[in-house]
Amino acid sequence: MAKVGRLRMGRGRLARKYKLQWALLLMTVPWFLYRLLFSYVPLIGWYIAFSDYRPRIGMSPWQQIMQSDFVGLQNFRMLLDTDTVMGQRFIQSVINTFGQAILTQIVGFIAAITLSLMLHEVRVNGLKKVIQNILYLPHFLSWVIVASLASLALALPVSGGIINEFLLWTRIIREPIHFLANPSYFWGIVAGTHLWRNLGWNTIIYLAAMTAVDPNLYEAASIDGANRYRKMWHITLACIRPTIVMLLIMNTGWLLTSGFEIQWFLGSGVNIARAENIDIFILRYGIQMQNFGIATAAGIMRTFVSITLLSIVNFISGRLGGERLF
Amino acid sequence: MKKLLIALLLLSLVLVFAACGRDNDEPEPEQQQEEQGEQQQQEEQQEEPEDMGLLGPHNPIEISMLLVTTEVAPAPGNRIAVLMEERLGVTISYEIVTPEMQAERISVLIAGGGAGLPDILATGEVEARLTEAGAKLRLDPFIDSGRFPNIYNHVAPYRARLSWRGGGVDDGLYTLPNYNRFYGNPPLLSPTHYGTGFFLQKRVLEWHGFPDLSNMTLERYFQLIEEFIMENPYTPEGLPHIGFTFPAFPGRVWGMTNPPMFLAGFPNDGGVIVRDGVASIYAGTEYDHRYFYHLNQMFLRNGLMPGESVLVDPEATTQSQDMYFANVANGRVLGMHDQRWGFGSPHDSLVATGQFNRTFVPTMPTFDGRAPWYADRDVMNIHQGFAISSMVSEERAEHLLAFVDTILSEEWQILLSWGQEGLDYHIGPDGIFYRTPEQRLNYDDTIWRQHNRLMGFLDMMPKLQGTLSCGNAFTPGHQPLEFMDGLDEYDRWFLEQYDKRTWRDFVNDPPPNPPHYPAWQISVGSGTPADMARSELEVAALQHLPAIIMAPDGQFDTRWADYIAHIDRIDVAAFEEAMTAGIQERIRNLGY
Amino acid sequence: MKKNKNKEQNKMPRKSIQWEPIIFHTINFTLLIGLCIIMIYPMLNQLAIALNDGLDAIRGGIRLWPREFTLENFRAVFATHTIVDAFFMSVYRTVITVILNIIITFMLAYALSRREFVLRKVITIVFVLTMYFDPGLIPHFLLMQSLGMVNTFHIYWVPNLIGAFNLIIMRTYIRGISESYIESARLDGAGEFRICWQVIMPLCKPVIATVALFVAVGSWNAWFDNFIFNAGTQRLAVLQFELMRLLAAATGVGQAGQGHAAQAAAAAAGVAQVTPLTIRAAITVVAAVPILMVYPFLQKYFVSGVQLGGVKE
Repeated sequence: MAKVGRLRMGRGRLARKYKLQWALLLMTVPWFLYRLLFSYVPLIGWYIAFSDYRPRIGMSPWQQIMQSDFVGLQNFRMLLDTDTVMGQRFIQSVINTFGQAILTQIVGFIAAITLSLMLHEVRVNGLKKVIQNILYLPHFLSWVIVASLASLALALPVSGGIINEFLLWTRIIREPIHFLANPSYFWGIVAGTHLWRNLGWNTIIYLAAMTAVDPNLYEAASIDGANRYRKMWHITLACIRPTIVMLLIMNTGWLLTSGFEIQWFLGSGVNIARAENIDIFILRYGIQMQNFGIATAAGIMRTFVSITLLSIVNFISGRLGGERLF
Repeated sequence: MKKLLIALLLLSLVLVFAACGRDNDEPEPEQQQEEQGEQQQQEEQQEEPEDMGLLGPHNPIEISMLLVTTEVAPAPGNRIAVLMEERLGVTISYEIVTPEMQAERISVLIAGGGAGLPDILATGEVEARLTEAGAKLRLDPFIDSGRFPNIYNHVAPYRARLSWRGGGVDDGLYTLPNYNRFYGNPPLLSPTHYGTGFFLQKRVLEWHGFPDLSNMTLERYFQLIEEFIMENPYTPEGLPHIGFTFPAFPGRVWGMTNPPMFLAGFPNDGGVIVRDGVASIYAGTEYDHRYFYHLNQMFLRNGLMPGESVLVDPEATTQSQDMYFANVANGRVLGMHDQRWGFGSPHDSLVATGQFNRTFVPTMPTFDGRAPWYADRDVMNIHQGFAISSMVSEERAEHLLAFVDTILSEEWQILLSWGQEGLDYHIGPDGIFYRTPEQRLNYDDTIWRQHNRLMGFLDMMPKLQGTLSCGNAFTPGHQPLEFMDGLDEYDRWFLEQYDKRTWRDFVNDPPPNPPHYPAWQISVGSGTPADMARSELEVAALQHLPAIIMAPDGQFDTRWADYIAHIDRIDVAAFEEAMTAGIQERIRNLGY
Repeated sequence: MKKNKNKEQNKMPRKSIQWEPIIFHTINFTLLIGLCIIMIYPMLNQLAIALNDGLDAIRGGIRLWPREFTLENFRAVFATHTIVDAFFMSVYRTVITVILNIIITFMLAYALSRREFVLRKVITIVFVLTMYFDPGLIPHFLLMQSLGMVNTFHIYWVPNLIGAFNLIIMRTYIRGISESYIESARLDGAGEFRICWQVIMPLCKPVIATVALFVAVGSWNAWFDNFIFNAGTQRLAVLQFELMRLLAAATGVGQAGQGHAAQAAAAAAGVAQVTPLTIRAAITVVAAVPILMVYPFLQKYFVSGVQLGGVKE
């Protein structure tokens, strides 16, 4: 569309457009500069990843950076060296982050769309609002609170573990499950807690898209004899496809981010091998042990992988004629 | 209209950049005040004669203070804070960080190069990093000047022990300990043993007819519990009993890992056992194997226990602090390995509900009849506590030290610890301090304390622990009379059965600490191979020990082998060498 | 679950079509109500704990109703001056952040929604990428320090003026508005600013309400900026940070090594080790209620507020 517009515009008109756009420029350029300052200027600090940064009290930060020795890619090599304990931990933390994130996203994605469809079918407006409001509630709790609630819910029934109690009561299991003692449950716990907190909230976007669907489409389909489920599939889901695609693209950029508090509060014991993600790794090995170079290097790698993933998916989607984020 | 909008737009933009810019050229209000204070102080010092003294309302100073404590900041108008301002001209602005968050906070402060570093740094264990990074002022020249007699007396006997020799900065005294520099001979110690033990519920001992607790073994400890559970699977309220548990949540991992050290008859050196000045880890050793094998055997007996009761808590390794507290407070837990302070609030809950027979006494099982060394002589908090920022001027440092010196006087120490006479305590005809029940209640009320005490300040500043010159204990909790008055009928009776006077009498009489002791105070640097190895050892323990404790029949050996294999991958030698070097250095320099 | 429904439907004979809605809605409601219970139970549980006596609550086992009712915990919370101050600081920062966010994000979104705008693409990419850029904690801190914002109120609003996600939502919404509004305004001789504020903004109430809530929730729940940048100034503490302090102290996360001597001595001296369960629950409630109260006012706009995609470049 943009191309067409440009073709139509003659040279003189283009120049005039520039002139006329002073207002639009005024609206954006200051904030553009602001963004550059706060998001891109700190990237100078990435130099820390290539240096042996040992800060001392009494020097300004920039002085410190400039005075620290350049060590090239040493920090990156240390992170990726699987012969050392640190390298193994880092690789494992990358695997964990990816596993936790992808599980969280898939589960969250399917559940949110299903729930939106279910809510969309509720025609009693007052009731719908009440249900929606209750479903949004957990999102208002901070992660710290969610983590402490989860540790209690996942306990054994004698200690008040409500999940085990429920599963035993419904006879889904015979023996209580020791969720937190078994590392293989941990990715599931991450996905589950994210689901609990964000499920209702995430339906906001889908529901909004669904209400924007033209009611005439449903009527036409009814006349054609389509049932409820066909309409759900062929009309509702088809119409909100752009929203779904857009969110999917955005989320690919988050595949190397899987939260912090749940892993920090629930995953530092026997399940550490499955819990430690990149953020925790950076905190434990980077910030707490003052390996600032390592911490920054790990962050750089994450950023590059994320943006590469995002760009690839964005490009493919665009090529296939779908949505594009940018 | 358009103009108005543009004006609005420009205004908000200006606001943003002004917000950044203004603070560039102009220091923020607080800094400004400090700087003014500094100038004022400099001027005043020149103008006023020496004998006016630095402290007093004529020379007000606002001190910023980094305080690592679990206490909250005092309320505005706090009684003691007002006294400080009126008499000494000192007001304090606090930055309070909880111990859990200090590692990150200190990292950030160091990374920032010291801008905004508070005047006083009162921190806990990771403080070594602040010293190494040059954040602290070397105090020796000030202390040797003779102008601060109280501080001088406070550190003089321990000068060598307290001095920093860890590199990064010149050797010397940087930090004054916040705890366990005792006065008096012998000092009045707490009647309660707040350290380690394999605790047993008093009810269990009562049921057994008060068995002799000396020469305790692991087998007999569990036997006492098991026999009790066999007859009493449920609490009177109908909850199943938990025979034995331990804390293993973050920060309390030693609840799980420390026992082999004590069972082998060594005092608490943390992750290592020290023989003849050489440190070696005990993770994966024979002692470790013996304890965890026994624990696993006991765990396997869970199925034999009547009802839903268990001998070894299957949730011990995954419980959060709240769950642990709930179980203890419910009286379900019959025994645990912990340190007494670690279950303070559920203990208080049991006391508050009058269930004295469900509180605990420490026992000290050992292997092969070794002498138990559970209780040590309270060790001074070396390299943690009070320090002055290296960013302050010499004049300001003098002022700060004059303040601390005054605070270390008995008059102020009594004000901080006991409060004001008449209001918070009374003096008996024999000079003994005592409190009325109402005064005790006040002190237990945390809200009251925010208005009437400086708990956080007291927590981290140097103090006159032990016996004051007037013969009273430094804190009400240590005063023998206070202890006896507060003792319940049941507890009095229980102590009589064992012919003991205090709870401390249940643990060993500690021999003098070895010169290096305790090894856990030794800094192995941050980010060094030794540091990495230490952290990795803890991770290995966290990862494998729960599986080992809860191994099904016949799987113990394979799981143990996994653990050993993990330890073998760690650079243990680096850690042990660094610890040994630290120990040797302490022996050379301190010896007592 | 959807599969099952489809099967059910296929088996159903055509005549009993009137049964289908009843079955469907029954199942649908049951599931939704079940879900509501899952969502709300833990919160009611916290409320019950907050209303229970402290020493009694340690014993656990409180569900939906306090065992020994008391308002003491809330009294204690509101008597603690740091918490009350932090509460107002939270409100203050949230209000300022929301207002500025809306004004600026809206202006940007409007400009970026104009297809003829020359820098549209560049600026969009720069903003979108910030969602995924992670400069790292230390570089970020160093910048804030160089700008002199550490230990000032500005740290709460200056870095958070524009959220990329909110920007995209607003831009998409504005694009969905018919061009004819703008065309006719132009014919009336209105400039870009006037169109932006007087023509388009009134049409955007739903998306503004939505973004306002997004920003408010984020701002209200934030504690990390307080901890990293403003921990040095008590008067700048926000509520979530105070809550975090209490909860972290209670879970003991990150507490270093073997240093028991200090704790033992502190315990002997009567220094508090942990904040009681009930006080934490009470603060949790206090921290959650205000943001919950904002929500109903904005809720009516929600249905149509958020749109992503659908309007192609």
